[in-house]
Amino acid sequence: MAGGAADCSYWERFLAKQCRVYELRNKERISVAAASKLLANIVYGYKGYGLSMGTMICGWDKKGPGLYYVDSDGTRLTNHIFSVGSGATYAYGVMDSGYKWDMSVEEAIQLGRRSIYHATHRDAYSGGVVNLYHMKETGWEKISQDDTVKLHYQYQDEKLGKGH
Amino acid sequence: MECLIGVQGKDFVLVAADSSNARSIVRMKEDHDKMVPISDNVVMLTSGDVGDCLQFSEYIAKNLQLYKMRNGYELSPEAAANFTRRNLAESLRSRNAYQVNLLLAGYDEKTGPSLYYMDYLASMNKLPFAVHGYGSFFSLSIFDRYYTPDVTKEEAYELLNKCVQEIQKRFLVNMPRFKVRMISKDGIKDMPDLVGKI
Amino acid sequence: MSRRYDSRTTIFSPEGRLYQVEYAMEAIGHAGTCLGILASDGILLAAERRTTNKLLDEVSYSEKIYKLHDDMATSVAGITSDANVLINELRLIAQRYLLTYQEPMPCEQLVSTLCDIKQAYTQFGGKRPFGVSLLYMGWDKHYGYQLYQSDPSGNYSGWKATCIGNNSAAAVSMLKQEFKEEGLGLSEAKRLAIRVLSKTLDMTKLTCEKVEIAVLSRVDDKTKITILANEEVTELIKEFEAKEEENKKAEEKKKQPSK
Repeated sequence: MAGGAADCSYWERFLAKQCRVYELRNKERISVAAASKLLANIVYGYKGYGLSMGTMICGWDKKGPGLYYVDSDGTRLTNHIFSVGSGATYAYGVMDSGYKWDMSVEEAIQLGRRSIYHATHRDAYSGGVVNLYHMKETGWEKISQDDTVKLHYQYQDEKLGKGH
Repeated sequence: MECLIGVQGKDFVLVAADSSNARSIVRMKEDHDKMVPISDNVVMLTSGDVGDCLQFSEYIAKNLQLYKMRNGYELSPEAAANFTRRNLAESLRSRNAYQVNLLLAGYDEKTGPSLYYMDYLASMNKLPFAVHGYGSFFSLSIFDRYYTPDVTKEEAYELLNKCVQEIQKRFLVNMPRFKVRMISKDGIKDMPDLVGKI
Repeated sequence: MSRRYDSRTTIFSPEGRLYQVEYAMEAIGHAGTCLGILASDGILLAAERRTTNKLLDEVSYSEKIYKLHDDMATSVAGITSDANVLINELRLIAQRYLLTYQEPMPCEQLVSTLCDIKQAYTQFGGKRPFGVSLLYMGWDKHYGYQLYQSDPSGNYSGWKATCIGNNSAAAVSMLKQEFKEEGLGLSEAKRLAIRVLSKTLDMTKLTCEKVEIAVLSRVDDKTKITILANEEVTELIKEFEAKEEENKKAEEKKKQPSK
């Protein structure tokens, strides 16, 4: 989630409810494509009313892993990598330079954490903690929650060749 | 910062669209498809507000499908273009106008190929070649210079390539990749992407 | 007995009938006859004129046949005031289509859109159905020449030749007998129309004031709808009467030798 915190948390909670209702009605979980389209259609209906959201929806369905970008303009895209929010450009810089299609989960975790850290470092409006989740076929798993200050010194030490 | 191109020949229309999807100053996607087949033999290329583009083209496509189901025959490309224009015109004076510029390329068994140029103000023209966006400043003169009504499929593809090369050489904004499609009596066919010389 | 189920069109009788709709059909059974014939090179509509009075100011040249759009015309049987409302509606529907698509409305779509309105009047409360049956002739790029008929219930169907109004059943059976499987030309259709009308209209002599004929055909990729001039109709009637006379004489000759 990025943008208006209230808009994001409300509509994503609303989306979660809709997905649950879908599951009860169809005895099957909604696909990532359908779930993201649901959100895109909702926000498109409120276009021009001042919603501010930039979201990513990821999950697993019959087609495998799915990653979608949905924002309050009504845009809905799918791709291998996305970065959203005021610090997105900074994160893209790190992510694009380190990304490989066949990277391992561990490499992806490292790259994700680093990308967000560098974004928080440069972007005046981002900061605090870096939460990291891994979306697996069986569900999500929280990987880490790190204070950006801690990450700052950790990465600085690594750069200077100091072990910790 | 988007570019849509279309050329019509004797028995086909060739269209191209850049494949970037931008938000603010960021390219969110580099293999985005801006063409939507709105019936078996009509393709719509859209540029403008990303949300509106998809919503509008889908709305038109579903309406054409509904027409086909109700009546057992398809709307001609000309009628489809007029229907599209009417929807844009009606939307224009509403509170939430569709901010969509588009090209419509179609092939009709009876009347042959056709290419329509429309903007979000709902102006419409039937043209032998058309370009939307900043790309038009670089490519329209190329068409004026090299286009002939009896252009072959191969020549038309090469003509599109000329335009893309020029855009990639002279235009400040980077458009690394163009998707190309051919509309003819055989329906809608994918063509190899046009990419810049390295 | 049926009084209880008459007051509203939306109510079925215990036998499952809609009386008001049936009464409307009945009204049409007494109306001036209209017939249509589909020919290979065009279509024809013929209608009986009832209001012939020397004192009547000639308001309109055509009384029962109306043009709907460039490629279509219709003739009506039933209550004229109801028909005017429907004709107005038909013309509006056709123009709305033209405005949206910039091409003339295909025949069947126009017929079925009007029938949707007619149907609504058999279902929604407080309304009486339109006491009108219509015959439509038209041309479109999808199916060429077409002839349709619609009635107060909202049903419609396509025909090669058909008839509505007074004595229509007799006319239809006559058309069925005379209509050739391989189809016929427009001039042949005109003769057939006169023949059928003269037999089914309950009058001793057919005159051009009593009958109105319109013809639709394609000339140079454009639809031409014309209402036949009185002279031409008179000529057709004369031709028919001469033939009739000939047949009579031939018949009598056949009978005499056997005596």
